[in-house]
Amino acid sequence: MAARLIGLDPTSGPLPDTTGKVAPRPSSLDGAVVGLVANGLGEAEAFLSALYDELVNTHHITAAIPVVKSSVSVPPEPDDWQRLTEGATVAITGFGG
Amino acid sequence: MTVLRADRLEYDDALELIEDYHRRGWTDGLPIVPPTPEAVERFLGAAGLEADAVLGTVPTREVVVTAEHAAINAVMAGCLPEYMPVVVAAVRAHLHEKANCHSTTGTLSGASQLVIINGPVRAELGVACTAGCFGPGFRPNATIGRALRLVIRNVCRSVPGFLDRATFSSPLRYSFCFGEDEEGSDWLPLHVERGFAPGSSAVTVHSVMYMVSSPDYTSRTPEGVLDSLARTIRRQGTAGDRWLGDGTNVVAVIGPEHRRYLVDAGWSKADAREYLWPKLTAPQQPGEGKVKLGHPEGLLLVAAGGPGMAETWVMFPHLAWAITEPVR
Repeated sequence: MAARLIGLDPTSGPLPDTTGKVAPRPSSLDGAVVGLVANGLGEAEAFLSALYDELVNTHHITAAIPVVKSSVSVPPEPDDWQRLTEGATVAITGFGG
Repeated sequence: MTVLRADRLEYDDALELIEDYHRRGWTDGLPIVPPTPEAVERFLGAAGLEADAVLGTVPTREVVVTAEHAAINAVMAGCLPEYMPVVVAAVRAHLHEKANCHSTTGTLSGASQLVIINGPVRAELGVACTAGCFGPGFRPNATIGRALRLVIRNVCRSVPGFLDRATFSSPLRYSFCFGEDEEGSDWLPLHVERGFAPGSSAVTVHSVMYMVSSPDYTSRTPEGVLDSLARTIRRQGTAGDRWLGDGTNVVAVIGPEHRRYLVDAGWSKADAREYLWPKLTAPQQPGEGKVKLGHPEGLLLVAAGGPGMAETWVMFPHLAWAITEPVR
């Protein structure tokens, strides 16, 4: 019987299956605290601010937690993550320049 | 003997393995060389590394990159064992904190990772440094750059649609590697300017947001050639942010038809930077981008390319520093 060829797995592990999975959506934004995460590119802050104003007009939003990344190329700071995860009902962000 | 930890898969033959690796999403779309345990052990031996030696991490992705990972992907890329120390240096450079690999490989812009090789290892491996050095036809150039990209894909998880979010991406992401033409002038090599000993070998990895040719077919003086280069850089501007501070870089690869006007006039790389600096940092004009270099040494001048075309190529940065690592 011929020897079988052995190949080694080149990865650091399987990729998570994220297909079609989204975070649970609240049934209503009434009373919600909205996190606004701006990536620092372009007019992200102005866009999110205008979006928040629109939400306030159409829903009973309680408050906003604005986060502007300290630098464009890095994730939010740990303190910002904590403010969002502890205080926000939902958060809105975007990507792109 | 070092202990390999990667999962093992069995196949009837090489073709079956290659097709299965494609199916699993473990290639860049091109065929790969089967990474057998024997081949991977040879590569680790060539670099003098144990399989579990850590080359770096990607904290945002909870990824630890080992020498075994690099060796498997270097075999797959078509490297020879003797290329492995260069691949290791390139992976280490890419994983330096300020190389900012999470950003540079996930970006919408599709930034590529340029590998510049310096020192005696270029001749030992046959790295192309002169005519055609950006393009195909040279095994070390093609496979060392590809090995880094396969590590980025397979180990660091920059897979299109997952953590690679490029809008168009770039053909430079298959492989982008060349050597400096150190013998073509008496200029200090890039790695020596960056603090490494003459006679040593090193690798510089620079994440390129876009590359632009700066042709000038009429200038016959250092000032004329460099004025054209300054206009090209100013027109585009450069990326940067607070976290990166004043450490970002622009790489200008100066071909021999431009280089000779500087060399014949006795201009060093430092002389060229001294001339360029006030021109790059003069107040921004309408239609120009902002040049966010913190100091003259941020402009990395590299000699490469062949005769005929009077041009210099400018490699504009993504959000990262260019990092130089020794080849050990």
